[in-house]
Amino acid sequence: MNTLPDTTNYMIAGYAVFAVVFSVFITSLAFRWKKLKQDIQTLEELGKDSNP
Amino acid sequence: MNKKPVPLLILDILSLVLLVVAAYLALVFAPMEATMGNVQKVFYFHVANAWVGMLGFISAGVAGIAYLRSHDPKWDIVEVAAVEISLVFFLIAIILGSIWARPVWNTWWTWEPRLTTAAITELIYLAYFMLRNGIEDPNRRARFSAVYTLIGSVSVPITFMAIRFFRTIHPVVIGSQTAQAQGGFNMSPDMKVAFFFSLFTFTVIFVDLFWHRIRLGILENKVEELKLKVME
Amino acid sequence: MARTEKTGTKSGNFMQAVFAIAWKDLAAELRSRELLSAMLVFAMLVILIFNFALKLDAKTRLTATSGILWVTFTFAGTLGLNRSMAVEKDRGCLDGLLLAPVDRSTIYFGKLLSNLVFMFIVEVIVLPLYSLLYNINLFNPGLILIILLGSVGYIAIGTLLAAMAVQTRTRDVMLPILLFPVVIPVVVAAVEATGGFLQGLDISEVRYWINILLVYDIIFISIAFMVFDYVVEE
Repeated sequence: MNTLPDTTNYMIAGYAVFAVVFSVFITSLAFRWKKLKQDIQTLEELGKDSNP
Repeated sequence: MNKKPVPLLILDILSLVLLVVAAYLALVFAPMEATMGNVQKVFYFHVANAWVGMLGFISAGVAGIAYLRSHDPKWDIVEVAAVEISLVFFLIAIILGSIWARPVWNTWWTWEPRLTTAAITELIYLAYFMLRNGIEDPNRRARFSAVYTLIGSVSVPITFMAIRFFRTIHPVVIGSQTAQAQGGFNMSPDMKVAFFFSLFTFTVIFVDLFWHRIRLGILENKVEELKLKVME
Repeated sequence: MARTEKTGTKSGNFMQAVFAIAWKDLAAELRSRELLSAMLVFAMLVILIFNFALKLDAKTRLTATSGILWVTFTFAGTLGLNRSMAVEKDRGCLDGLLLAPVDRSTIYFGKLLSNLVFMFIVEVIVLPLYSLLYNINLFNPGLILIILLGSVGYIAIGTLLAAMAVQTRTRDVMLPILLFPVVIPVVVAAVEATGGFLQGLDISEVRYWINILLVYDIIFISIAFMVFDYVVEE
C-alpha cells in the first residue's frame, strides 16, 4: 500500500510559476504603456518645434 | 486614448477578484487527490491557462483572415495582441504541465500530443515575432503576419492529429500503465467546482488582458505614425 | 522569358505562364548547375555526418533510414528554396514577372514546379546512393509515393514562405524558422509512412499517414494559391 506522496512542493512551484510569469507580463504591459505615453509626449513636442 | 474606460476598470477589478477566488477554490476548497497528492491542484490552472492560450490562438486566426479580407490595420493590432497573450499563457500551461509531470511520471517532459503541439505553437509564435521584426514597412509587415497566422492556424490542428496518431503507434512507456499512474483521475464534485470556476476566471482574464494589449497596440501605432511625421 | 500569347483559352494562358516561369528556372539551372550541385553536395554531406553521428548497426539502420532520408531532404530542400527565391529578387526578375499580364498565382505555381523538380532531382540521386551505401533496398513503390506526396507538401508551403522570407531583413535564416514548425505534419507523416513501407507494413497501417499528406498538400496548395498575391504585391 503506497503512502500518499507529499507533492506539495510541486504544487507551490506550479502556482509560483504562474504568479511570476503572470506578474511579469502585466508589469511589462504597464511599463510599455508608460514608455509609449512618454514617446508620444516627446514626439508631439518635437513636432511643435519643427512646425511652429 | 488617455483614460482607462470604466468598463475596463471594472473588468480589471473583476479579474483580480475572480483570480483570488479561483486560487482559493483550487488550493483550499478542492480536496487533495488520492494518488498523486497536492501536485494535482496544479491541474486547475494548467488547463485554464491552456484554455486562454487556445482563445488567443483562435482569435489570432480570425484576426489574420479579417485583415487579409479588409486590409484594415486595426485587425493587425488585434492579431498581435492575440498572439502575444497566447504565447504567454501557453508558456505557463507548458511549464505547469511539466511541473505536474515530474512527480507523477518522474520525467520533466512527456511527448504528449497536447503538450507537444503547444510547444510547437510557441515556436510558430516566436517565428511570427521574428518575422515582424524583420520587416520595416508596416503594410507588408501586417500582410505577411496575417498570412503566417493563417498558415499556423491551419497547420497546428493537423500537427496535433499527426502527433496523436504517432503516439498511439509509439506509446511512451512511463512507469506503470494504470490509469492513475498515467495521471488520470476522477474529479469529485468539489474538484469540478474549482475546475470550472478556474476556466471561467481565466476567460474573464483573457478578455481583460486582450483589451489592454489592444489598447497598447493602438498606442504603438500612434507612436509609429508620429515618428514618421517628425522624420519628414 | 517566353511570350504569353493573347489568343487561346484563359486556362491555356495560365498553364503556359506557369510552364514558362518554371522553364526559366530550369533552363537557367541546366546551364549553370549551381543550385543542384550545392543541394547534392549538401545532401551527401548530411548523410555522411549521420553515418558518424548515429552508430547504426544493421538492425537500427532500417528504422533510422526513414528519418535520415527526410532530414536530408528537408535541409537540402531549404537550400534550394532559399536560393531559388533569392536569385529572383537579386536579379530583379520578380519585378519583371509582376509586370507581366498574367495572374500572380502563375508565379507561385511556376516556382512551385521548378522547386519541386529540383527537390526531385536531389531525391532521385540520393535514394540510389543511400541504397548502395547502406545496402537497403529503397526501390519500393510505396516509398516513391511518399517521397512524392511529402515533397509536394514541403515545397508547396516552402515556396510561399520563401517568397516572404526573402523580403525580410534576415532572409536566409528566416526561411527555416518560418518553415519547420508548420511543416511538421509532413515530416511526421512522411517519416512514419516511409518507415512503414520499408518495414513491409500493410498499406492499411500506413493509410492514415498518406491521408494526412494528401490533406496537407491540398489544403496548403490552396492556401498558398489564394494568398500569394498578398505576398508579392508592392
